[in-house]
Amino acid sequence: MLIELKNVTKIYNQEQVNEVTALREIDLTIDDNSMTCLRGASGSGKSTLLAIIGCVFQPTTGRVSIAGKQLSRLPDRFLTLHRRQYIGFIFQTFNILPTLTVQDNITLPLVPLGIPPAEMRRKAAVLMERFGIAHRRNFPASQISGGELQRVAIARALINNPPLILADEPTAHLDSRLSEEFMHFMKDLKSAGKTIIITSHDPLVTEHADVDRVLDIKDGRIDAA
Amino acid sequence: MNSRLTQHLNILDYALSSLWRRRAKNLSVLVVFSWVIFLVASFQLVTQALTETAASVLRSTPEITVQMMSAGRQIGIPLDVSRRLAGIFGIQDIVPRVWGYYFDEVSGANYTVMGIAPGRMPLLDRLQLTLEDSGVYDSESRGKAIIGRSIRRTMEEKGSTLLSMFRPDLSQASFEVTGVFKSEVDILTNDLVVLNIEDARDLFAIPSTMATDLCVYVANPAEVPTIAKKIAETLPGTRVLTRSQINRTYQVVFGWRSGFASVCLLTALTAFVILAWDKASGLSPEEKREISILKILGWETADVLAVRFWEGILVSGIAFVLGCTLAYAHVVFFNASLFKPVLIGWSVIYPEFRLVPSFRLDQFLLVFSLSVLPYLAATVIPAWRSASVPADSALSGM
Repeated sequence: MLIELKNVTKIYNQEQVNEVTALREIDLTIDDNSMTCLRGASGSGKSTLLAIIGCVFQPTTGRVSIAGKQLSRLPDRFLTLHRRQYIGFIFQTFNILPTLTVQDNITLPLVPLGIPPAEMRRKAAVLMERFGIAHRRNFPASQISGGELQRVAIARALINNPPLILADEPTAHLDSRLSEEFMHFMKDLKSAGKTIIITSHDPLVTEHADVDRVLDIKDGRIDAA
Repeated sequence: MNSRLTQHLNILDYALSSLWRRRAKNLSVLVVFSWVIFLVASFQLVTQALTETAASVLRSTPEITVQMMSAGRQIGIPLDVSRRLAGIFGIQDIVPRVWGYYFDEVSGANYTVMGIAPGRMPLLDRLQLTLEDSGVYDSESRGKAIIGRSIRRTMEEKGSTLLSMFRPDLSQASFEVTGVFKSEVDILTNDLVVLNIEDARDLFAIPSTMATDLCVYVANPAEVPTIAKKIAETLPGTRVLTRSQINRTYQVVFGWRSGFASVCLLTALTAFVILAWDKASGLSPEEKREISILKILGWETADVLAVRFWEGILVSGIAFVLGCTLAYAHVVFFNASLFKPVLIGWSVIYPEFRLVPSFRLDQFLLVFSLSVLPYLAATVIPAWRSASVPADSALSGM
């Protein structure tokens, strides 16, 4: 899955008083089956870049293509369908719904797909076993530990077996042990053929041996240095 | 299983779980909504039961009633008027009737006193059937009366064995009570006293050449409007009432009261729908975050909207079923005790008849369209806006 960005610019609130240019003329290519880290200070534009790669919203100018498919200027519906099929998200605070059970959180991406409930539960069971959280299946997410939440988030991102995993500051609220555990999971996913892009300024992530490339984002640009 | 169907079932399951997760709020909405529907449905059922009861009892009344009018008020009608009507084709019989109202000062109640000519009223042989078991209708004898149940109650309270009433000259007339009407016909007989026609004339001092009104019986019911028109043309200065007009009067009375009450209730329902709209328009931060997360995970706006739609359907559907069921039980088992006074009015002599509602699809559809549909519109339309929460809200640094 080759990811290409050509001359991508993102401007929020264009032509308004509070106009902000988050990205400026980004040119970027990310290879298939690689782990790339986007590093930068808060407000540097790394999360915006991740969101554009993840088809959450469109760039103001420029072109984005993933696996040869031109995604710029597509209607929101097509972006949603693309996300559903190709991308798994892991959020900074995991964004697990606290009132849903662990199993229900993991199967959330499958609900609108028309997959029978039994099949959804089977897929979730496989992932829960893999990440050691099967015993928490029916627990509300509000009653599990931080490490278990992390694993629920990863399982949810993988439930559709997407080729691309995007993680936005995944270790921001984790201790070093859990951060290392997270990177261990990412390494396994890379070995399984996934393409992984992580935004972080955590050295445990940026200096990890399995990270193929670290890109510094500063003031909306990729820092050549 | 069809994947589209499975998709909707999955979304329905999610909607159920979403309702359960916010059960305190949704339960309070359900309770209030059910209560409002209960009120509206109760009024519909009670009104319909009352009008149907009146209609069934009115079937034995004369097809046409002729009353003499003067200065817009009813006065006595001379019996020789019958001769002028005899030539109208289709009239089977013309029976004079003497009746009036008697005010009982002790109880403060108004009785309706009806004098019946023996052997003249059609279906009079059925009068016996409307009496309680021990009752006897003696059409020939004078000094005998048949009364409604409330009048019997009043007599029992006074300890009277005879029904005593005063003539216009203040002399007393007493009657032996030989029968009491059954409860099934309470709606029309509760305050009724039936006497021999001569006793009624004597009580009200009405001369033998006069009557209160004339009952006209027609061979062919389809000709009633035509014959009524001919009577009105033959006798200017009279009021000609058909059975259907009297029936419509009952319906208008109950319908008017029901409509008035329904307007008040619809105001409450409208207020509820406005509140629902207001609630659905705003989203809590938690709800916005949830929608944003779902969007990033691949849910389309239509999927989020479907969840809101099913939530609305479930809440309003359950409220509708609950409200209508409670309304039916209220009418059948509790005799509409909450609303009957509003619809049948106040009286010293209070009819204790039982209401028997019947299921009519158009009534429930009316309640459905006045309750469920506005609620769905009030929750789903604003939900379109909330379903359009951008996906990026859940991402950091935005």
